[in-house]
Amino acid sequence: MTGYDTAGRIQDTYVSAHREFHANPSFWIRYFNPSPAADLFHHDALAESRGAWDSGGPYVGCISAPRQSRLSGSAAEGHADAQAFAAALLTAYHAVRPLLLPSNGQLYCWLDQEYSTSLSSSYWNAWANYIADYDFAGLGIYPLYPCLYCAPYSPYPNCSTIAKSRGVDRPAAIWSSTPEPCGSLTRPPRWNAAKCATVPTRLWQFGEQNVCNFSPNVDLDVGAPGFVAANYCFRLKYRP
Amino acid sequence: MRSRKRGNSVWPLGPDGGPGLSRRRVLAGGIGAGALLALPDLGSGAWPGVSGRAAERYAFVYGTPDPDGVPSGSLVAAMCPPSRAASTPPVPVAVKLAAAPVSSSDHAVTALATVDMVHDGAKITLTLLDATAATVAKQGSVTVTGVPRDAHVLVTPVFAPGSAIVSLVLAVTVPVGKHMVRKGHPHTGDPVTRLATTWRSHHALAYFDQRSEAMTGPFHLSDEPSLALSTAAANSSDLLLWTTREPQPDDPAAIRAQASLSRLSVFPLGSGKARLSTPVPAPWPGGEPVATLPTGDIARLVRGRHVQVCSARTGEVTELEIPALRHGRAKPSAVTMQARPDGTVFMTKPGAGVAVLADAADSFRTKTHIQFPVPASPLGAPWSKAVLSPAGETMYVLGPAATGGLCAYHVGSGKLAASYSEGRQYHGLYRLPSGALLAVRPENPRLAFFSADLSPLGTADTNLHVSAIY
Repeated sequence: MTGYDTAGRIQDTYVSAHREFHANPSFWIRYFNPSPAADLFHHDALAESRGAWDSGGPYVGCISAPRQSRLSGSAAEGHADAQAFAAALLTAYHAVRPLLLPSNGQLYCWLDQEYSTSLSSSYWNAWANYIADYDFAGLGIYPLYPCLYCAPYSPYPNCSTIAKSRGVDRPAAIWSSTPEPCGSLTRPPRWNAAKCATVPTRLWQFGEQNVCNFSPNVDLDVGAPGFVAANYCFRLKYRP
Repeated sequence: MRSRKRGNSVWPLGPDGGPGLSRRRVLAGGIGAGALLALPDLGSGAWPGVSGRAAERYAFVYGTPDPDGVPSGSLVAAMCPPSRAASTPPVPVAVKLAAAPVSSSDHAVTALATVDMVHDGAKITLTLLDATAATVAKQGSVTVTGVPRDAHVLVTPVFAPGSAIVSLVLAVTVPVGKHMVRKGHPHTGDPVTRLATTWRSHHALAYFDQRSEAMTGPFHLSDEPSLALSTAAANSSDLLLWTTREPQPDDPAAIRAQASLSRLSVFPLGSGKARLSTPVPAPWPGGEPVATLPTGDIARLVRGRHVQVCSARTGEVTELEIPALRHGRAKPSAVTMQARPDGTVFMTKPGAGVAVLADAADSFRTKTHIQFPVPASPLGAPWSKAVLSPAGETMYVLGPAATGGLCAYHVGSGKLAASYSEGRQYHGLYRLPSGALLAVRPENPRLAFFSADLSPLGTADTNLHVSAIY
């Protein structure tokens, strides 16, 4: 099951992506506050959701890319970033009526740790704890699961940091940005995602636009064998 | 210049600028994480016409210790080595910082904030480091009383150009409820019962006067429930603070209405009472670059391509698009913005391979824009990937992802003027007050110094994974 992540608007991207890859994605992953380019989905979640529906991939996953130096920082910084992320998810949820939580009750919330970024224990634990504890929409349910996007073999602290986390602070999954053998939406490479020792890698960004020279503004992602990434995204029940 | 030791927080250097700090005397805040090193800026002769005092400044290196002995950010002071063969080890300055440091606009002073939980609340200490000697220049504290030990206090120091007042924006987040919840295990789906916490945030202000070394405040703002993330900037008379109301789950209509709004409040420096508070266009504040313009207005670079110029007098916001920054990619990019003494503003978007010099006095008209190959890790830390020479005629940028190294571009023509590569990837680039360049790489020696013509000047090892240089 392959899909896209993008910092662009889905409605502006899916046609060119279809032209290049000749298939529909299973899901999209979009940036939410606090993050560069988070404003796009935040300010017009309706149009983005229509774009996702029209693309044939009516599932929207969530990632947040705070200012990266903050990830080296304190618990207060991690807590504040997670609070804004959860608020942005809630705002999108209320902006689009048919945007629903995953039916399995697990919405994966990815923290973007880039290759050259260090992740501190204080930041991660506070970030993860807030996400895991968030009473979504006052429903008395706790569907947000903290997850980490990273390059596991980067020389900067990532896997070693989360290895020290416990309980709900431990990520539910890793989304690996390496290696990047490229490929296409319909012909992804054989599963070979980099991994951390203590948390399973469940999503792999095997094709990055800059590296693979894709024309559309998309990166390509595939779920681990047996893992259906779309099931851990917001889902659209009908075209909004 | 005074050097006061406060608790276990900051290590001042010796009076001769030597390493007067012992490891045990490292600054260590209570609720924080982070590390800071001081590194002397070599730079003598690195830039024509810049020498003497400026050349002797330290660079402060912020990052995460390796191995991860402390849970968050630390600081060391580093100086460019006297020769390529010699290595000057950075000097530890602080550990467990509550937030990343902030430098004054002239980079003469760097502010550190630490938070210690004390018997009656949270004690916030502001330490101002002098970059010339890497010593503690000033220090002051304020206690937010009644804060429980498990509270989070996010501290943002804000320098005010032309004023001795340093503002502290405090986001105080406290637990307001604990209850048992059932949640499915992420891998098995089996229900797990555990204790969850609900939180509420509000903001408070405090002010430190560098002349009297007096701290006033805290002044609690009535903005609960608010998101802790905020953006703040100051001119010589006012502090401008952008905040966002935390969406309340029982009011979907209000959530929809507030999605596109933030709130701007303008406080006279030293005051806890806003003279102006008004809704302003989003995006929500938090991490976007801001700059104080010569007019006293504040520019906020949002969405990676728009500048919102905010009138400090009226709060009115004028939004301008920077056409050269319009281009987006699949991956978002770091963006930076820096106001220059000549009234221009330098903006970079390395993920799109573009930098812009705009005229703030002329509606941010683009004076020149330079295109360059996208460097490695354009979104990763450190976010500074391109810098201008002091006179603004040369732009230095990290080399292409394929080759690494550094490149220099002639600003007037936008043409590549020089490049340097020995096959190494650098992830951050800074210009030191001397004019020397400091590039950051993943493995030791993590700090590499270059002259203005991209000649290697020397290197230094540090145990920090570097997140930023101040």
